[in-house]
Amino acid sequence: MTEVRTIDVSGLKPYDISSQAPLWWGQFMIVFIEGTMFGILIAAYFYVRLRMDVWPPPGDQFPHRTLPTLELIPLILSCVGSYWASEAAKKNDRAGMIGGMALNVVLAGIALWMRIVEWHSLNFNWMTDAHGSYVWAFLGLHTFDYIGDLAFTAVLLLLVLIGRYGPKQRLGVHVDSIVWYFLVAIWIPIYVVIYWGPVIVRTQQ
Amino acid sequence: MTASQDIYPQTETLARDVDQLERSWRHPRGVFGWLSYTTHQAIGTRYIVTAFIMLLAGGIEALMMRTQLMHSNNGYLGPERYNQMFTTHGTTMMFLFAVPMMEGMAIYLVPLMCGTRNVAFPRLNAFGYWMYLFGVLFLYWGVFTNAAPDVGWFAYPPLSGPQFTPGKSTDYWAQMITFTEVSALCVAAEIIATILKMRAPGMSLNRMPLYVWSLLIQSWMIIFAMPAIVVASSYLLSDRTVATHFVNPAEGGDPLLYQHIFWFFGHPEVYIIFIPALGFVSAIVVAHSGRELVGYTAMVLAQIANGFIAFGLWVHHMFATDLPQIGEAYFTASSMMIAITSGVQIFCWIATLWSGRLRLTTALHFVYGFIAIFVLGGLTGVVLASVPLDLQVHDTYFVVAHFHYVLIGGAVFPLFGAFYHWFPKFTGRLMNETLGRVNFWVLFVGFNLVFFPMHILGLKGMPRRIYTYSPEMGWDHLNLVATIGAWVIAIGGVLFMVNFLWSRKNGQLAGNNPWDADSLEWAAASPPANYNFEYLPAATSRYPLWVAREDRAVVTGTRNERREVLVTTLMDAKPHHRYVLPGPSIWPLIAAICVTTGFAGSVFNAWYITWGTIISGLALVGWFWPKRPLEPADD
Repeated sequence: MTEVRTIDVSGLKPYDISSQAPLWWGQFMIVFIEGTMFGILIAAYFYVRLRMDVWPPPGDQFPHRTLPTLELIPLILSCVGSYWASEAAKKNDRAGMIGGMALNVVLAGIALWMRIVEWHSLNFNWMTDAHGSYVWAFLGLHTFDYIGDLAFTAVLLLLVLIGRYGPKQRLGVHVDSIVWYFLVAIWIPIYVVIYWGPVIVRTQQ
Repeated sequence: MTASQDIYPQTETLARDVDQLERSWRHPRGVFGWLSYTTHQAIGTRYIVTAFIMLLAGGIEALMMRTQLMHSNNGYLGPERYNQMFTTHGTTMMFLFAVPMMEGMAIYLVPLMCGTRNVAFPRLNAFGYWMYLFGVLFLYWGVFTNAAPDVGWFAYPPLSGPQFTPGKSTDYWAQMITFTEVSALCVAAEIIATILKMRAPGMSLNRMPLYVWSLLIQSWMIIFAMPAIVVASSYLLSDRTVATHFVNPAEGGDPLLYQHIFWFFGHPEVYIIFIPALGFVSAIVVAHSGRELVGYTAMVLAQIANGFIAFGLWVHHMFATDLPQIGEAYFTASSMMIAITSGVQIFCWIATLWSGRLRLTTALHFVYGFIAIFVLGGLTGVVLASVPLDLQVHDTYFVVAHFHYVLIGGAVFPLFGAFYHWFPKFTGRLMNETLGRVNFWVLFVGFNLVFFPMHILGLKGMPRRIYTYSPEMGWDHLNLVATIGAWVIAIGGVLFMVNFLWSRKNGQLAGNNPWDADSLEWAAASPPANYNFEYLPAATSRYPLWVAREDRAVVTGTRNERREVLVTTLMDAKPHHRYVLPGPSIWPLIAAICVTTGFAGSVFNAWYITWGTIISGLALVGWFWPKRPLEPADD
């Protein structure tokens, strides 16, 4: 019999809900991918803006700022729900996961509703002109991701409510929070670009 | 006794463990089962086979072009067909052959080299393959319905915009890009997670094989470069289908912005193809010179620097556009800088070869071919980095010669070397070495016959993308030489396929480690079992199979009645926890069909985006719906 050193791992945990999990790294990569994409959108917006004399072009109103600014309140608070759920998932605290995800879904839903109401006040769409196209690229893509993650959270909430969850689903609740923090955090520079950009980089009259 | 059996605990538990592994990693049966595979060997093989078929398709397109250019005033292909051929050739080779081929090799080799049982996200891996396959079918459906794209492989607006190219061909092109980028991003994410979290215990970052390093760097480059092409192709497609004004100058969009975003992806894309090839070269050089690599740390740092600099070069594709001079100066400097990091690697390989005990195998022949061709291509690259020279030869055959020297020399020659090197691991048999050498020399001579004359043609002023030329130009002889060379390459390709098919049946049996190589994939059986290793290996050195048996170690205590692997820490690869990987599943295919419905349909009607999103969302819920018993139970 050959003497070979062995490393016995039977004493290690069969799963881990933390940044050590491969799935956490998968979610982290989504953040990098989408962060790069939104970064390029921001660069493209200013590239086009600096080649125009008047911005927004004549006919496009300045976007209203009241509702989008108020929208930030439920949006940022929704992260509290995410954090609560994600910490509860680590401790296998079912009530905490339900409470946290429900809070997240409700506040994110309110913010989404405010956003859609605000769209109706815009007098331009993606077909109007370059300004409209670049603004709607932000709105469309961010809202697409936003609804996607909201639906994902709702499905996880459903799974926890009906009790059909194990460590894998708890890890899902934990990593779901990473994407949510990102979607909220990236909205802040996008909000500044869309709603304050035309003010910050003023048209030379 | 084979190398792998040497290191295993020879106890009565071995038979029980192997029996459990066989059962938990068994493939499901039948056609439905075949569509549900999630093992990395199966998915990797599918990528490699599909990408090889794409290499043949792109090669046939190239032969048609070369035949057309054989002599002046040739009428074999008309101008429209010629435009379709050069566009489809470039698109196929870049998006459907080169990147997926490198990904397929990585999917197959990285888990083996890291000493684990599968990639970190096996079902995402299957999904990525289906998306790639559907992208291939989508583009070639256009080609066979006479709607092949004809606006060049980078499809600049305004030519590619709705005014100048009506019809669906450019839409097919732009949406095919979306398919391949989804696939590439899936692979990049799972390769990074596999490398960072699932390495063998003891394989700290500074013990990783250089091939694994090259994949880690390449995958991060995909993560940062592919979003740019998502943006560029979506801008173009929505300008064409829903009347937006992103890059369409007729409506206030900015066509130059498209070039910037495209090349912010497009330049790193070249390195995405070529950095894994550098990894092949390192693996082959180490194994076939039988010694440790000279300058391991310098090599790793040079490759990381390559990855960073790649993102600061894109404007050298745009020197002919109106750019500020300070910008041009910056991009000239950064483009020349890449010669330093590439040079470091070339010198390290030469030093390793110089001081090693060489076995002049076919694989090593391809490495020599790579060094010769790639250095020449690199030198013309330094020439092209200079703005006045670049303007002189812009859009001529000099550029065509340059990028074929770096891409074929830098990626395809190492790839063929890699086939010869890892073929015994994939199939259990060695390829025929005599035929292999003939294969190499035919390809090497053929390659130089095609592309060397193009330097001269370019300097004489022959522009790219013209379907014919008049006899007074004096370009006939060199073009004829290039066309003959193209057919010589075709013969080389046929020789490779003959060798492949013959050796699969009749090749000499390889055993686990025919080259006496150093890295962990050679500890697995040839071909590897679905679970790769009976016992997960540990890496006690940078060259784990070159240490004495008593200094090796293996992992015991994983639960083998389920697909369990070991997760280790990021830097030092210390065992951290066990992790259960999912088994076979049909959901990746269903999800890919749903996403394809949205992508393909949106070319015809924008509402398909909405319906495609809804059914894809439902498919994802099906994918993630937990099956009982819920794994992993606390044990």
